[in-house]
Amino acid sequence: MIIRTSLTGPFPRSEALVGATRDFDRGRTNAEALEELYDRTEREVVQLEERLGLDPVTGGFLRWADLFRPFAETWAGFTVGPVTRWFETNTFYRQPILHAPPERTAGAIAARLPKPAFELGAKKAHVLLPGPYTFAGMLDNRSGETEEALVHRLGRLLAEEVKELRSLGYTTFQFQEPLLVVHPPKGAKAESVVAAYKSLAQALDHATSIVWTYFGDAAPAWPTLWRLPVSVLGFDLAETQLDSLPKSPERRGIGLGCIDPRTTLVEDPSEVVRIARAAVERFRPPLLWLGPGGPLDLLPWEPATRKLHLLPAARQLLAQSNGGGR
Amino acid sequence: MSRPVFPTQEIGSLAKPRWQIMGQRGEPLDERAKDEFVRWNTELHFVGDGDPKRESFLSGHSAKVGAATVRDWGALFALRFFEEPGLDRVYDGEARRIEMYEYPIRQMRGFQFQGHVRSFDNKYYLKAAGTGEVRLESPYHVEEFDFVKAHAKAEPKLPVTGPYTLADWSYNEYYLGRQKGWKGRKERRNAQKEFVVEIARKAIRPTLAALIAKGCKVIQVDEPAAGTHPDEADLVAEGFNAATEGLDAEFSMHICFSDYRSLFPALLEAKRCRQWAWEFANRDTPDRDGYEILKMFKEYGDTRDIGLGVLDVHRDDVESPEVVADRIRRAAKILGDPSRIWVNPDCGLRTRSLSIAHQKLKNMVAGAKLARADQLGREAAA
Repeated sequence: MIIRTSLTGPFPRSEALVGATRDFDRGRTNAEALEELYDRTEREVVQLEERLGLDPVTGGFLRWADLFRPFAETWAGFTVGPVTRWFETNTFYRQPILHAPPERTAGAIAARLPKPAFELGAKKAHVLLPGPYTFAGMLDNRSGETEEALVHRLGRLLAEEVKELRSLGYTTFQFQEPLLVVHPPKGAKAESVVAAYKSLAQALDHATSIVWTYFGDAAPAWPTLWRLPVSVLGFDLAETQLDSLPKSPERRGIGLGCIDPRTTLVEDPSEVVRIARAAVERFRPPLLWLGPGGPLDLLPWEPATRKLHLLPAARQLLAQSNGGGR
Repeated sequence: MSRPVFPTQEIGSLAKPRWQIMGQRGEPLDERAKDEFVRWNTELHFVGDGDPKRESFLSGHSAKVGAATVRDWGALFALRFFEEPGLDRVYDGEARRIEMYEYPIRQMRGFQFQGHVRSFDNKYYLKAAGTGEVRLESPYHVEEFDFVKAHAKAEPKLPVTGPYTLADWSYNEYYLGRQKGWKGRKERRNAQKEFVVEIARKAIRPTLAALIAKGCKVIQVDEPAAGTHPDEADLVAEGFNAATEGLDAEFSMHICFSDYRSLFPALLEAKRCRQWAWEFANRDTPDRDGYEILKMFKEYGDTRDIGLGVLDVHRDDVESPEVVADRIRRAAKILGDPSRIWVNPDCGLRTRSLSIAHQKLKNMVAGAKLARADQLGREAAA
C-alpha cells in the first residue's frame, strides 16, 4: 500500500500577506510589491510542504479568492455575484452567476495555478479544482439549463481543462466536492454526477484523480461516491465515522481527512494511525491519502502550519507498520 | 410603561464619522472631516458652541483635545443621530467599539488570538482560540453604558454580543481537548455546548449583572452566528438562558441574514427573551413576502414581541414612509396583535453613509407614525 500526504485545499495567507492585501485595497502598496509578496509566500508554502514530505505540493492557492473565482472571472457565461456564506462556516465566497451555458477559456486556469509548485516539476504539483457537482450547486444558475445538465456540462468543461493541464505535465488532480456530502445527490442528479466524472476519467488518462469531500458525513453519499471513477475518495474524519461506511470487494484509494481545520487543537497522531489502520482493514486500499479534512484556510497561518506537522508524524507511524510504504 | 403602538428602536452600530476616526488618532481634521463635523453638529448639536475644545478640534489640534473627548463626542453624536428623528429606544451607535468580537474576547481570560482568517476576498477577521477555562477579567460596556445613561434623552437599549456567537467565532481548543478520543461530531458538539455555556455563565452573565446594577433595563443580545449551524439552534437558546439566568431586564435577541425556519422551534427555548429582533426588509418583495416568516411564530404559539426590521441596511435606496408603514401593517396582520411590534432597521446601519442612514431613520419614524394613525383609526372605528 502506498501512503501519500498532501494539502487538500487552500492554505491560509501569511500575516504579512494579510497586511499587504489590505494595504493594496487601501492604496497603501502597489501591485508589483503585492505580486512579489505573493510569489515569496507561495514559495514559503512549497518549502513547508517539501520540508514536511508532502507529495504532491500545492503552493497554497493563495491568490484564489475562492474555489470558483478563477472560473467565474475567465469562463464565458459567468459574472461574479454577491458575497455568500461558504457552507456552515464564518467565511464567504462570491457566488458565480451563470447567465448562459458556460464556455471555458483556454489557458485561463493554467495561468492561475501557483507557479512555485509547477516550477518544481509539473509531476510534483497538485491541482485543486472545483468538482462539477459542487460547482453547479453553489452557483446561481440563470442559464436555463437544468442542474443535471449543468453538472454534466461542467464535467465536460473540467475534462477539457484537465486535458490542457495534462499536456503541461500535471499528473495529480483533486476535485473539491463538499456538496456531495452536504446535499448528497439522488436519482437523476446522482446519475449526472457519475456521468460528469466519466467525462473527467477519459481526460485524466491514468493521472491520479481525487474526489475530496468535507463539511458533511460521507456515509449517506457513499453509494454515489463509490461509483465515481477516480483513484481516491477522500472524506472528513471529523464528520464521518469510518464504521458507517459500507465495505466493498473493490479496492480503491481512500483519503482520510485527519486534520480538522475548525479547531486549533492539534490532533493526536496515534489516534489518526488507529483510524487509518481501521480504514486499511476495511477497504484494503492500494493507496492511502492523508490530508486536512477541509480547507486549512479556515485557520490562520501559524496554527495551520502547526497542525500540518501531524501528516509526517502519522505517516511515519503508519509506514513503520506497513513495511516502509510510501 | 405605556407606549404608543409601533414604537421605534435602533438596532446596532453606525458608521464612524471621519472626524471621529481622525480625531481619535490625534490627526488634524482635513476639510472633509471638518465639514462633516460642522454639518452634523449644526443639525444635532452634540458639542456646544461654547465648548473651547470644539474650536481647538476644528483648528487642527485633535491631539490636544484627546482621544477620550473625541470618543465621547462620537457617542453623543450617535445618540442625537437616533434621537433627532424621534426613536423611542437608542444607544451610542457602538461609537466606542471597534467591532463586536475582539473587544469582548479581550475582556476575558482563557483565550489567545491566533491570527487572521480570510472572510472573503481581502477581508479578514482576527480569531481567537479558547485555550483555557473561560474567566472574566472585569465586566465590560459598563462605562460606555454610564455615559449613555447620563446623556440619553430617550430610553437606552444596550447591545451585547451573545455567547453562541463568541463561541462560534472562536476556535474551541480547551473544551474540545477535554473530550476523550477522536474528536468526531458528537465530541465537537459536546465541547461546543460546554464552551457556549461557560462563556455565558462566566463572562456574559456577570457583565449583564453589572450593567443591570448600573440601571440598564433593556439589553439586546446579538447572535449573528445563530444561523450558521442550524442544528445548534438549541445551543443558542441554552447560551441565552445561561447568560440571563436570574437577571431582571428586558432582553431581546437580534439575529439577521439567516434561514430563520431552520431555527424553529429550538430557538424558542430562550426563556427570558422578550423580543425577537430580526432582519426582514432585506428579503422583502413588493408583495411583502419578507414578513411571511412571522407565521412561524403563530404556528408555534410564540407570542413574544417582534423587533421588526423595516429598513434594508444593504441598500442605499431610502424606504419611503409608506413602504415602512405597509411593512408594519403586513406584520401586524400576520401576527394578529399590533402591540407586539417594535419598529427598527434590519441590522446596524454602519454599512450606509451617515446621510442615507439618517434619512432612512427619519422615514422609519414617519412610517411608524402612519401605521400608528391607521391602527388607532381602525381601533376607534371598531
